[in-house]
Amino acid sequence: MNMLRTENITMKFGGVTAVKDFSLNIDKGEIVALIGPNGAGKTTVFNMITGVYKPTSGKIFLKDKDITGYRPDKITSFGIARTFQNIRLFKELSVLDNVLIANHLRIKSNFIEAIVRLPKYNREEREMHEKSIELIKRVGLLDVIHEKSSSLPYGKQRRLEIARALATNPSILLLDEPAAGMNPKETEDLTEFIKEIRDEFDLTIFMIEHHMQVVMGISDRIYVLDYGVTIAEGNPNEIQNNPKVIEAYLGVSEDA
Amino acid sequence: MKRKKYNIIFSVILIILLFVILYFAKLYLDDYKSRILNLCAIYTILGLSLNLINGFTGLFSLGHAGFMAIGAYTTALLTMPIPIKEQNFFMAPLISPLDKIVWPFLPSLILGGILAAFVAFLIGAPVLRLKGDYLAIATLGFSEIIRVIFTNTQRLTNGALGLKGIPNTTNLFWSFGIAVITLIVMILLINSSYGRAFKAIREDEIAAENMGINLFKHKILAFTIGAFFAGIGGGLLGNLIGAIDPLMFRFFLTYNILLIIVLGGMGSITGTVISAFIITISMEALRFLDESINLGFFTIRGIPGLRMVVFSVLLMMVILFFRNGLMGNKEITLDILANKLSKKPLTKGGVKR
Amino acid sequence: MTLELFLQHFANGISLGSLYALIAIGYTMVYGILRLINFAHGDIFMMATYFAFFGVLTFNMPWYISFIVAIILTGLLGIGVEKAAYRPLRNSPKISILISAIGVSYLLENLSIVLFDGRPKPFPTPNIFADVINIGNISIQRLTFIIPVVTIILLFLLLFLVNNTKSGMAMRAVSKDQETAQLMGVDVNSTISFTFGIGSMLAAIGGLMWALKFPQIQPLMGVMPGLKCFIAAVIGGIGNIKGAVIGGFLLGIGEILLVAFLPSLSGYRDAFAFILLILILLFKPTGIMGEKIAEKV
Repeated sequence: MNMLRTENITMKFGGVTAVKDFSLNIDKGEIVALIGPNGAGKTTVFNMITGVYKPTSGKIFLKDKDITGYRPDKITSFGIARTFQNIRLFKELSVLDNVLIANHLRIKSNFIEAIVRLPKYNREEREMHEKSIELIKRVGLLDVIHEKSSSLPYGKQRRLEIARALATNPSILLLDEPAAGMNPKETEDLTEFIKEIRDEFDLTIFMIEHHMQVVMGISDRIYVLDYGVTIAEGNPNEIQNNPKVIEAYLGVSEDA
Repeated sequence: MKRKKYNIIFSVILIILLFVILYFAKLYLDDYKSRILNLCAIYTILGLSLNLINGFTGLFSLGHAGFMAIGAYTTALLTMPIPIKEQNFFMAPLISPLDKIVWPFLPSLILGGILAAFVAFLIGAPVLRLKGDYLAIATLGFSEIIRVIFTNTQRLTNGALGLKGIPNTTNLFWSFGIAVITLIVMILLINSSYGRAFKAIREDEIAAENMGINLFKHKILAFTIGAFFAGIGGGLLGNLIGAIDPLMFRFFLTYNILLIIVLGGMGSITGTVISAFIITISMEALRFLDESINLGFFTIRGIPGLRMVVFSVLLMMVILFFRNGLMGNKEITLDILANKLSKKPLTKGGVKR
Repeated sequence: MTLELFLQHFANGISLGSLYALIAIGYTMVYGILRLINFAHGDIFMMATYFAFFGVLTFNMPWYISFIVAIILTGLLGIGVEKAAYRPLRNSPKISILISAIGVSYLLENLSIVLFDGRPKPFPTPNIFADVINIGNISIQRLTFIIPVVTIILLFLLLFLVNNTKSGMAMRAVSKDQETAQLMGVDVNSTISFTFGIGSMLAAIGGLMWALKFPQIQPLMGVMPGLKCFIAAVIGGIGNIKGAVIGGFLLGIGEILLVAFLPSLSGYRDAFAFILLILILLFKPTGIMGEKIAEKV
């Protein structure tokens, strides 16, 4: 089944084309990676899919539903969740609050029902707590559940961000450089962790990553972006041997 | 869960205690002192409502004076007896149904709050798309527009002449009663899922939106609720002082409330309450700076305006040297109090339910 | 409305517009370099008129010397405000700097109520400005012509300063990226001080001409012009000097024509600017000359 599909999405900022005609196809349950040198437009692709930017042209489909041009919060409610390249937690708030907030989009009580604490609201609040604590336990942060999120070490902040994204009940998870700044041990754990959550939460995963060990280790397929243009697509083996990719990463040879 | 029950019982006892004290205060305090206490309660309401917008949701709004004006004029025009209305509107008669209507205090106050909230809702649609200093200027601008309109609508507001002889309905029970209600509503709101969404917007709009929070809906919710209580506070203030005019609702009024929340801590409910009392009482206590003091054999001449210089310096000092104010974004909760009292070590304050 | 009357209104609009433009430039420069609305700008403008007032009446200086002294003092005041109230907070959340700016504005207003007395004072107008010139059936104060001329001259001087001098280059560098500018050897602190100085001096010139045009000064006189000129800067595209001038003229002429054509709405004159602000923010938030800055995610 097709999960996420983009058709020739293009993003222009003024005269600069950040991403040109990017077409993507991800099936349910796949782990797909997007790689490319710095400034290739990878995060711009994420921003278009999650509604932060509206593509200059092209269309985006989630499970064959056209989601182009919706606001980010709508898109999240359709089932796309993301993390950020430069971690964007709610810094002053506790680990628990960070995850609870991501439940808010599914709330059914209105604010008056919430203020007067109707039983209906209390039940929802209790369910949110149970679900959040479960998720926090799952990512191994139960011991710091009441700590301020900005006080956590880097690796734990990354995991908290993933837990927060999972709390929105996504069908596809977009991870923006999840292994950035991690040591080899943490990276190895993360690779395992991504596979596990994919199976556990019945997810599809689309990630941007520089760390080749992670990318080659878990991706089913890889897209390569350079200067906003898709230069290659294929399974890890094909990508590793693709001359264009090697060229993009190592630079053009002298006599070219 | 048990703790929650205790908290409720404890809160109820506290509130009853407060009103017993108020009962005796009303019996024994002179007009001047009870007026200051009234002002403390009213500034608590205003501070809490501005803090909801600025401190908890992170929207830097400077429109409070305008919302207060709406509440104050609504309440005053609805509660003034007909002969007083005729006396006030000698330049041009008050427009009709209003000249014949006299409402009781409570529905007038509530309508004042609703109208303020309604205007906030209308203003919010264009203004809340802005951020930071643009939002500040735009809300300040709207508050000034409201004032300009009130100065020019002779037959509705009596223009620059203002309204005099507004019934002095506001007393300690009204002001503290409504302050307590405001406080409870704020605590319940802030600790609900909606309150968490507000804080998420304050912390990081982009992350909040990507976590599925509808920014506009929640911003306008906070803005409108804040304006509602500002309108109520304005109504209480007008019917406490007995006279209002458009000049009263200049941005100075907003700055004073801003001072309260900055001193108390942006994002702290208890801080706001404490600070509202400190600022209101010290504003009265420092009144001697403005007025001449007669010491019998010679008079110290007061300098009009010196008091406000002190407060502007205070605002600068707080923001430059104690940016978190008294409380930062922390709270004094009953749990903490209970822990302090029983001298138990502070546990990592139980999951809030 | 006769042609003469229209021309008279138009001339008034131009001169009010040039005043707005002068003050708006100060906002735009400070915003360009610090991304901060200098709430105190209008009050700095007010202080200039008091400096000149006391120069003439207390120290018996000739008006031109008193004006020059006032302009210099105001420039120093601007630099002082930045040093005391904005610099310590440069790396703090934006909201803190904004509150600090409001604090400065509040302080200057209250301080001048205490020091200068809250009651309005008549501002001495030298004859050279007050003389009336007759052209056909139109009679216009000479000042009405002087103001736009001064504004245009200052605008060109300023554009020269920003585009063709070393300090101007430093200013542009700091406004683009403070850290990089610092790494490239630009003295960021003194560049910011310099910008505040220039901006405040322009506000002073604007304030003095304002006081000549409306010869009554009082401690809160800077508030409304301050807000309106900020709006002018936004209309033109904040951060852009030419934009501020265009915005100032649009606002000034618009206001005068509103009052001229719709006298029944003259009471709402002060609301006009704010309505314009809301409209521009809704339909072209970057202003007429502004560039779009996308937030990095």
